[in-house]
Amino acid sequence: MINSNIKNDFPIFSKKILEKDLIYFDTAASAQKPELVTKEISDFYSNHYSNVSRGVHTLSVESTFKYEDARKKVKNFINAKSEDEIIFTKSATESINLIAQTFCDKYMEKGDEVILSIMEHHSNLIPWYFLRDKYGVVLKFAMIDDEGKIDLDHFSSLINDKTKIASITHLSNVFGTITSNEIVKICREKQIFIMLDGCQAAAHNPIDVQELDCDFYVFSGHKTYGPSGIGVLYGKENILNELPPYQGGGGMINEVTLEGVSFADLPAKYEAGTPPLVEAHGLGIALDYMNSIGVKNIFEHEKELSKYALSKMRAMEFVEIYGNGNDKSSIISFNLKNVHAHEVASFLDVEGIAIRAGHHCCQPLMRHLGVNATSRVSFGVYNTIQEVDIFIEALNKCKEFFQK
Amino acid sequence: MNDLIKELYQEIILDHGQTPRNFGECENHNKSAKGHNPLCGDTVKVTLLVDENNFIKDIKFQGEGCAISIASASLMTEKLKNKSLTEANIIFDDFTNLIKGQTDNLKVITEEDSLYALKGVTAFPMRVKCATMSWHAYNSAVND
Repeated sequence: MINSNIKNDFPIFSKKILEKDLIYFDTAASAQKPELVTKEISDFYSNHYSNVSRGVHTLSVESTFKYEDARKKVKNFINAKSEDEIIFTKSATESINLIAQTFCDKYMEKGDEVILSIMEHHSNLIPWYFLRDKYGVVLKFAMIDDEGKIDLDHFSSLINDKTKIASITHLSNVFGTITSNEIVKICREKQIFIMLDGCQAAAHNPIDVQELDCDFYVFSGHKTYGPSGIGVLYGKENILNELPPYQGGGGMINEVTLEGVSFADLPAKYEAGTPPLVEAHGLGIALDYMNSIGVKNIFEHEKELSKYALSKMRAMEFVEIYGNGNDKSSIISFNLKNVHAHEVASFLDVEGIAIRAGHHCCQPLMRHLGVNATSRVSFGVYNTIQEVDIFIEALNKCKEFFQK
Repeated sequence: MNDLIKELYQEIILDHGQTPRNFGECENHNKSAKGHNPLCGDTVKVTLLVDENNFIKDIKFQGEGCAISIASASLMTEKLKNKSLTEANIIFDDFTNLIKGQTDNLKVITEEDSLYALKGVTAFPMRVKCATMSWHAYNSAVND
């Protein structure tokens, strides 16, 4: 387990919630920030800031260097082949929209098919709904098994001559289950493209896009202990070269005349406008921070917490856990019988425990589970076994309070 | 037990949350609207029978939600039944002020009122929408 002194790296934990120590079990929504990251962001603005790739003066050079250094760090973090394969966006959501639209432009026509799953986050549904509504693209949805994993046989059965791409979560934000690498193999065999939504996975598991062999991979900075306002899109270089540009603007051009434009090479081709340069730098520092702990260690630590919490929660007959398996990486969704998730979240809040309650931006999945909302705990580097014990005790109190 | 939680979940709220009054759909209703909280997925439908003199002869609700949203809807139906639309709209304004913690200029709701129990929501800003969902459905049913 990671030493609990790690909390000292995060200023937020000196804050009291109604005089109680903060227990932050909502890392899947957004991770807290190490002081290292916030200090670096402040230092960037105070001592180095200017626009990137546009000026020749010292500050522009320093800013450009930091921005491009961040790209290198992201490339190493997910083991991409080249920095040209790393596009900075404002969020993972923007990354998915970028792929959906440019991929459709290049490779799809009316009647062509996309495979998603019923447990995708709204950010991996709506960009594809747009294509369905606008261009008559057909969407198909892979089912899940009792554990909350993609049913690979069903997934496979959906693929036909019309199928062009699949876009699937790498780690479910509701069940905490990891999607098997088999899924990429299936797509390779059937010769369709695949994008993995790594928003949850990138914060908790070591990622190697070359080993995965996926065509696209997206994640967001704020879930990997970095700032908000920064997302990553990884795409294989040859594919990104084939796809058309997304947004037009400064920085993404080679030459502009009144008659037309030629576009910049990767990665600039996809980075129109002043990019989130300070945020990118903050993300780079956050990834350094994760590497200094060791992503493998983070994975083991959170898995241990999950296992412990699951064993305690399964022993409570009034707790219903979603997803049967024990293979949950860092996320557990549950409900107390006959108590709405909101009540649980408000009750825990005044105990200093931050959890998520709601549909987790997965309304189709909630409908499949037959619920409106669930509670969710999710773990990060700073959580401890003792916190899980306090949480379990609070759940018992909560049940007593609402069942009296 | 934390005081804010006790304040939020007063006996009357838990009671109405668990055994809501006027749950269902009014027969022969002539006004209705749905409410929806996109943050959590909770839903409500409010139906009313308003007579030719603009009196609410009957009002019912149905839906799924947390104790706060169900209790608020239940208390609303009790309060608005047999009121004229003019009175009901004043109560609506009062209630929205109460939930915002603006209790100085309430016109009809008093501390003795069962609705007053919902004031505990002010300490939980993210729960305000739970308390107001059914009221907004009522408002669109009669005023849109």
